[in-house]
Amino acid sequence: MKPRPLAFVAVVALVASACGSSSSTTGPQVVKIGVELPLSGGEAPNGGPTLNGIQLAINQIQVPGYTVQLNTQDDAVNGVNNPDQGAKNIGTLVSDSQVFAVVGPFNSAVAKAEIPVSNEAGLIQCSPANTNSTLTLGDPAKALRQAHPDQIAYVRVVANDDFQGLADAIIAYKDLGKKSMYIVDDQTTYGKYLADVVQAQFTKMGGKVVKRDGAGANVSDYTSLLTAAKALSPDVVFYGGVTSTGGGVLRKQMVANGMGDLPFVGGDGISDGAASVASSFLNIAGDQGDLNTWMTTAGAHDIPDRATLAAAYQAAFGKELGAYSAAAYACTQVYLEALKAVGPDRAKVRAYVTDTTHTFNTVLGPISFDANGDINQEIISYFQFDPSTKDWKFVRQNDPTKA
Amino acid sequence: MRRLWRSVLFLGRDSRLRAWLKPWTDSLNTFSKGHQSLSVVLGMAVVTTVLPFIILFPPFAGFATQGDWVQGFASAGIFVLLALGLNVVVGLAGLLDLGYAAFFAIGAYSYAYGASPFAGTHFPFWPLLLVGAMVAALFGILLGAPTLRLRGDYLAIVTLGFGEIVPVVFRNADTYTNGTNGISGMYRPALPVTGTFLGLNPVPYYITVAVLVALAMVFLYRIQDSRLGRAWMAVREDELAAASMGINTVTTKLLAFAIGASTAGLAGVFYASKVTIISPDSFGFTVSFTILAMVVLGGMGNVWGVAAGAFVVYEIQSELLKQMNGFVEHLNLPPINLGVTTIDLAKVDFLQYQFLLYGLALVGMMLLRPEGLFPNRRRRAELHDVDDAEAANQELVEA
Amino acid sequence: MDVGTLTQQLVNALTLGAIYALIALGYTMVYGIIELINFAHGDVFMVGSFVSLWLLADFFGLRGPINNPAELVGVLVVAFVFSMVVMGLVGVVIERFAYRPLRNAPRLAPLITAIGVSFILQNIIQIWRGPAQLNSPQLINVQAGFRVGSAEVHWISVFVIAIAVGLIIGLHLFISRTRMGRAMRSTALDREAAQLMGVDINTTIAVTFFIGSALAGAAGVVQGLYYGYTFFTIGFQGGLKAFTAAVLGGIGNTTGAALGGFTIGFIEVFASQAGYANWSEAIVFSILILVLVFRPTGLLGQPTAERG
Repeated sequence: MKPRPLAFVAVVALVASACGSSSSTTGPQVVKIGVELPLSGGEAPNGGPTLNGIQLAINQIQVPGYTVQLNTQDDAVNGVNNPDQGAKNIGTLVSDSQVFAVVGPFNSAVAKAEIPVSNEAGLIQCSPANTNSTLTLGDPAKALRQAHPDQIAYVRVVANDDFQGLADAIIAYKDLGKKSMYIVDDQTTYGKYLADVVQAQFTKMGGKVVKRDGAGANVSDYTSLLTAAKALSPDVVFYGGVTSTGGGVLRKQMVANGMGDLPFVGGDGISDGAASVASSFLNIAGDQGDLNTWMTTAGAHDIPDRATLAAAYQAAFGKELGAYSAAAYACTQVYLEALKAVGPDRAKVRAYVTDTTHTFNTVLGPISFDANGDINQEIISYFQFDPSTKDWKFVRQNDPTKA
Repeated sequence: MRRLWRSVLFLGRDSRLRAWLKPWTDSLNTFSKGHQSLSVVLGMAVVTTVLPFIILFPPFAGFATQGDWVQGFASAGIFVLLALGLNVVVGLAGLLDLGYAAFFAIGAYSYAYGASPFAGTHFPFWPLLLVGAMVAALFGILLGAPTLRLRGDYLAIVTLGFGEIVPVVFRNADTYTNGTNGISGMYRPALPVTGTFLGLNPVPYYITVAVLVALAMVFLYRIQDSRLGRAWMAVREDELAAASMGINTVTTKLLAFAIGASTAGLAGVFYASKVTIISPDSFGFTVSFTILAMVVLGGMGNVWGVAAGAFVVYEIQSELLKQMNGFVEHLNLPPINLGVTTIDLAKVDFLQYQFLLYGLALVGMMLLRPEGLFPNRRRRAELHDVDDAEAANQELVEA
Repeated sequence: MDVGTLTQQLVNALTLGAIYALIALGYTMVYGIIELINFAHGDVFMVGSFVSLWLLADFFGLRGPINNPAELVGVLVVAFVFSMVVMGLVGVVIERFAYRPLRNAPRLAPLITAIGVSFILQNIIQIWRGPAQLNSPQLINVQAGFRVGSAEVHWISVFVIAIAVGLIIGLHLFISRTRMGRAMRSTALDREAAQLMGVDINTTIAVTFFIGSALAGAAGVVQGLYYGYTFFTIGFQGGLKAFTAAVLGGIGNTTGAALGGFTIGFIEVFASQAGYANWSEAIVFSILILVLVFRPTGLLGQPTAERG
């Protein structure tokens, strides 16, 4: 086949005309919020509802003089979040001059590749989901900020895992009065760190961890692990990880192996909706598996207008509010408030957001950031499964270090 | 070489154009045969200079800005290096390696131990490139040694096993590797003139990787035409015959593993210095497979072809499919009316179909060009059945 | 480890091994006949689990255990036959469009299309059922069982092992006793000679794919019944383990594949028991490498002619 010059010319003309069409119009200035989330493959259930939260916020909140749009980038490669792609995406967002702030990322490993780049560019990032402590605290965090070690360009609206792990240990040791624990983690950055914190705190309180196993997403058979653990007769089980790497399956197989009456505690990785939601932890765990389960989330549940937000979300997307939708909404609110105050200049927005004296009014309530970029309102919410509604029941919320 | 020029210029089947251009291509070919290293370097220089400008034109311009493209090219260079290295093992020596990402990981971790806050070291990047390559080569030999007796697909599974074992070790040896967290905050390379490389300025990385690729190509061309290169091909075609002709098959195979691995080590060091975080999850089986697909798609055994294959596959995966949404919206296509239903391409979320399109691209390209986009002529001759043997010999004589 | 735990773990190992063995059979059959490492095979198993999920949960509307024995047997037979036939046909279609055109191409070309097919299958399932784990009805009550000493043996384990062993024996008889089985064996030995002897190569290879994929379909049903969930990524891991099992046993040899599957089941279970679950892959592959160093063609593999 010979090359067909005509077709090629036609494509060129089409593209050229498309390029030309987006030229100057007077009216509100177009500015963009960058979105950097895992959106494809197995990551879609994580990134999708989070993106929806951002979308909902810019639909609902108008900033006079500006039209706010999104520049959305996906960091999943072959269906799995990928640090290299994440860093590249931040570069893409930096080079889009209309982008004045970024919401994301979702995964801590991706954040570690992105923080050095956004720090260098002075482009603010707000993560609605990263809970790994080393992103903001201590020497590891400083190592990420090589370009401007004293300048924060990364904040997050969720409490870090040191708080959540402590809360999980409190549930097991104090609330339930259990003394010997079996821990399984899912071998991810998130799950393993959380399990480490729980193990340390539970031991510190006086409990004993009788067995600790690591079983990644590739494990679908927990039977042999459970058989070995059963012989050591633990009285509580902690799972550090998320549903899609096996939380629900582990609980389901505990039931099958006669361990269903042991209390089961998990972090926010298993916070993914009621038993009626297909593929939620409660759904996979099954009717007997969801009994005796507890979990925590790294943010305030009792947010001022939860019902309104959930209803608006339902109306816009036809789905229940995702675990991180509200947090993503809050990140967007912080940015819109900054936009209103100082305009779309990146340096000014970054300075405004990281100013520790500012308090932002968000769906999560009034929030502010500390000198490391961590949220000051480090509230953990505690949940227990409620058989009558077949859903998580909010028990209480507090800062576990002060409780 | 000659095939490449033809394929690149789309002249393969247009006889008039071919006739017109023949004097030019002929003199190019004569030149490249006489001055192979020089022509590789010149070729890479031309490609490196032209690429950042080609993408300013449609349809490429619709996908991303120039900066993004160059950023992507710098990452694509990593995979070009990897594919070149795997080509030595699979394409030249005929040893199917399904766990090649292990050496990539070893190179990356070597850099992490040499220049990161975690290790408390800060050696300069350039010597670490060599160190990474050498460490990976050492592991190449370590892996190669127990596999010498294995043939064909048994070898493949052992390499696959090695590729699975390495990330597990990095993940679980917490004390030494920081476990699943990986090692972050790696120091970036620095040069006397430009200073420390920046994450936002892809140009220094782009030029560095282009130089590395050019060096690797010169080296590989030289070695391919050396005694060792011929020994690899002999072992690939018939190990027994090769051994009886006096070739030491043990060293021949081990050298293939070592040289292949060292290229991956080089790529690993560069990768670590560019991304500044490495974790065991970045070096799984999918990476090994992607590299293998690049080699096979490019045309096994053909250095330029393999490089082009790696480049094309990387760009499809990380640029075209990722930016498809923006591109299609940009085109402003009218909705397609199918009678029963209307499809508005601008509303289709292509991110959802990435896998599907990538899979279809792999199958489609393979069905259309079973020998790869730019097949190696000698290799192609060998791979065909007996009927083609005569034609093959003919070609060999001609070449 | 006390005797009760040991017995329990032995049962666990046999059950896990049975599932690996079922998938490994398909790998080894395809390899035996066209020397292709069919990397899409694990995803055929995955699709099988979704087909069975669709039939049981969406079509029959089943949610949990069935207590009436007659009804249970009936539904199980329908589920297995349906999933096996559908997946068998899928396997034939894959062979026809992705592998047959490349039969005379370089050996690595179909390997790459296999990877492509694997991506395509995963994405189709992901678009169809969403990218998340799904609950699958466990028709056999997973808690019901009987005691052997202090160990608890569940009926579901007995069922899984029986299904696997039954299918393995059935396959063995098919290959050794029937006309088609002989055609398959001769095609595996020498395709051209078989053709000269009147064997229809295309049909024989298609039948091989049908049977191999049907066995993966059966494994898919077992996945749903035993684990009670399925996920679009399980094919990859399942396939990897099964491929390892096939090679460990001696690729191309059906008895070897079964042996390899059970061996890997044992290794994994006892690694977990010892507290090294996070090292289990490394242990499995280290043992594989050791075995191959001393027996370069696997446990039961025959040293092949120089082609290998």
